[in-house]
Amino acid sequence: MFYHEITVWTRGIIMDKEARDVANSLAQAARLEGRYTQFISDYVDAPDRTNCLIRKYARISDEDIKFRFIYENAHPDIVVLIEETLIKAVNFTRNTPPGEGVVVINTHRSPEYIWRFLPDPSKVKKLVCVDATTLASQSWIYEESLYELSQDRMSTEGSAERKQIGIGVAAPLIGAVAAATGIVKLDSLEKVVGDFDAVKRGVEGIVVKENPALVAVPA
Amino acid sequence: MSTKGTHIPEHLKVPFAGVTPAPRQETGQTLFPTGNWRTVRPVYRDKKPPCNHACPAGERIQGYLDLVKDKKYLEAYALIKEDMPFPTITGRVCYHPCETACNRGDYDDAIGIHCVERFLGDYGLSLPNDVVKLKAARPERVAVIGSGPAGMSAAYQLAREGYQVTIFEGQPKPGGLLRGGMPEFVLPEEILDKEIDRLKALGIKFECNKWLGKDITWDDLKSYDAAFLGVGLIKCRKLNVPGEDTPNGVRYGQDFLTDEAQGRPHSIGKRVAVIGGGNTAVDVVRLARRKGGELVMFICFESEVDAPALPEEKHLVHEEGGTVMDNTVVKEILSEGGKVTGIRIVKCKPGAKIPSEIEEIPGTEDTIAVDDVIVSIGQYADLSAIPEQFRTERGLIKADQYGRVDGNIFAAGDAVQGAGMVVQAVGAGHKAATNIHHALNGHVFPDPVEPDVIKIDRLNLNYFRHFPRVPQRQVPLAERMGSYVEVNLAYNEDEAVAEANRCFSCGTCNACDNCYIFCPDVSIMRTERRNGSYFVRTDYCKGCGVCIKECPTGCLEAVPELEFTDGVIRMETAFATEIGAHGRQREELFEVIGEVLD
Repeated sequence: MFYHEITVWTRGIIMDKEARDVANSLAQAARLEGRYTQFISDYVDAPDRTNCLIRKYARISDEDIKFRFIYENAHPDIVVLIEETLIKAVNFTRNTPPGEGVVVINTHRSPEYIWRFLPDPSKVKKLVCVDATTLASQSWIYEESLYELSQDRMSTEGSAERKQIGIGVAAPLIGAVAAATGIVKLDSLEKVVGDFDAVKRGVEGIVVKENPALVAVPA
Repeated sequence: MSTKGTHIPEHLKVPFAGVTPAPRQETGQTLFPTGNWRTVRPVYRDKKPPCNHACPAGERIQGYLDLVKDKKYLEAYALIKEDMPFPTITGRVCYHPCETACNRGDYDDAIGIHCVERFLGDYGLSLPNDVVKLKAARPERVAVIGSGPAGMSAAYQLAREGYQVTIFEGQPKPGGLLRGGMPEFVLPEEILDKEIDRLKALGIKFECNKWLGKDITWDDLKSYDAAFLGVGLIKCRKLNVPGEDTPNGVRYGQDFLTDEAQGRPHSIGKRVAVIGGGNTAVDVVRLARRKGGELVMFICFESEVDAPALPEEKHLVHEEGGTVMDNTVVKEILSEGGKVTGIRIVKCKPGAKIPSEIEEIPGTEDTIAVDDVIVSIGQYADLSAIPEQFRTERGLIKADQYGRVDGNIFAAGDAVQGAGMVVQAVGAGHKAATNIHHALNGHVFPDPVEPDVIKIDRLNLNYFRHFPRVPQRQVPLAERMGSYVEVNLAYNEDEAVAEANRCFSCGTCNACDNCYIFCPDVSIMRTERRNGSYFVRTDYCKGCGVCIKECPTGCLEAVPELEFTDGVIRMETAFATEIGAHGRQREELFEVIGEVLD
């Protein structure tokens, strides 16, 4: 049975759209491949607070998905962190089936450095690092750094929003998820995302660390 | 938020929407650890103020200005004395590179650091006892050649470490350049003598009338555990023009000043030509004016603005009645019967900065009648006593980056780096003394670390009012001529405190409490109000950056959170869909959905 739960973690206001685009694009692309999909934006975290933790969900299945009214992913096996410090902020692999989690992080740091921050390494199959902020089309980056972005005390959510989905930082992350997990094909992503060049850069830009505890030792 | 006294029905005591349990009185704010909102962490990192960085002697200028603000003069004096053995002297004669570097110079006026230093020095010198504490006495003997700023600085630092230090000086009175290069009206002899007495009180022995090469040989130096050469530049450069060998009336600037200070005064005529454009030439002009010179000419081949003397020094030439003749080359010294009668000059085109660039203008030759010629075009080192292999091609002592010449013989100051400022010699002497200490203890010499010097754009200038610099008063011109009274006057206490209060404390926490007051999350804490006692509660700090923005001195900086392995806040409040009320709701939903789907 093909069934995946994707949870995307991000920060309120400042990177809300990026997370929405990642989950939404993956769900849409999978739908083009004939799968059953769901995408849900989460509102329980009060997402209108700058910098607070926010989740977006997607589910992809080859059968009808029965959780129609329950929007939280109970057993996420693919976790995307739009911003690197989220790795210290929450236990994002709780209820992930042991040894099956794929964690995709937007960071310029190496997976070896990031590994120490994982809440429960035994749940993780592989850790995927991609420097999406650098790989993204820089014309979409309207602030120099995340810190400056988080200094936007005006909370003008949507004022800098663009109509396309799958652009900016989201695009390389979408590519990284597709390359690391294979849940969607790049051909179907091309029909969905706005910046497919950046998606391809994300596919090539991933740095993967397999869980050393799970790598089979040759006899 | 408290629920004390409120009846909560049992079914509402479960986690609300799977996010956060209801807060209780005893746990309070610990239920909302907002620290996981943070992408950057505010960190207190003191940076190097530009004044400290620019001071060749490494004085902790921001530190003592901060103490003067609180009128802690004794602590401030003790802090200067860590790096500077004689703040009274540098407070008077230093060309203060610290003030040139001062960030306040880009805002209104640089802090009058040398005036505050002089105030503290005079304060310290008036105390009955010195504040310097010596370490336990050690048996090693160290010889110091030369009692100039480099030699006395090295001797002072070595004596503080407990070494047995002897300074050898060729002249009858110690002080080197501080005595021979500084006229009475710049640095009174009384002050210098008192500072030398302070050094003697530390156990440093002074042996005068002892020249290296004549009274002490190179091999004698090796009989000591270590030696330091601070021989300086004592030979005067010659002009190399016809008539320079006239026996009566041709003098050299440094010798002229030194003889005056060592009790061998010269008498000069009414018309004096001072040749040279440096700071020494300025001092010679000023001294000649006081010794009865009526027409004292300051003759240099550079334009006046290009002459190497500092602008404020050149201003003094005009103020005290010297006659500046720039773009002028002296071709010959005229004499009659072994007595100077005049000089033959020619004008040159402006723009020349070194002698080889001089372009004379034909037809501008002239003759000026003078009684005396004082040549002041620089000095060079007398290295006749130093073995050939330890000299450079430029006539200086060959020392490595640690100041080592040969074995445990070290050198520093003008004789190593070329002509420089007094503070440069003091700093170099201090560094060499530190390395002598390392050498005698078998330590590895430490390599310098490039510091993080803070620029004005990292300060929050909204917190600083524009406030003019407290001017340094001077003795009126009428009282100066014909007397040797000190020209620059000292700050009084109020002026020193007012000037210190202008200091930005660039890059250094001065316990202003701004971060503590402004933090919207009560996440900045302190045990007491002083640098080093502030800390950030990482459980609650949201990384909003208000403290960093509001820090006036720029000592707080934003560091990416992932640089730290601590401060992890695992919010365990998500995914509660299978337990509690949500779990029950989920089961009910599945029953309904199942019926519908079936």
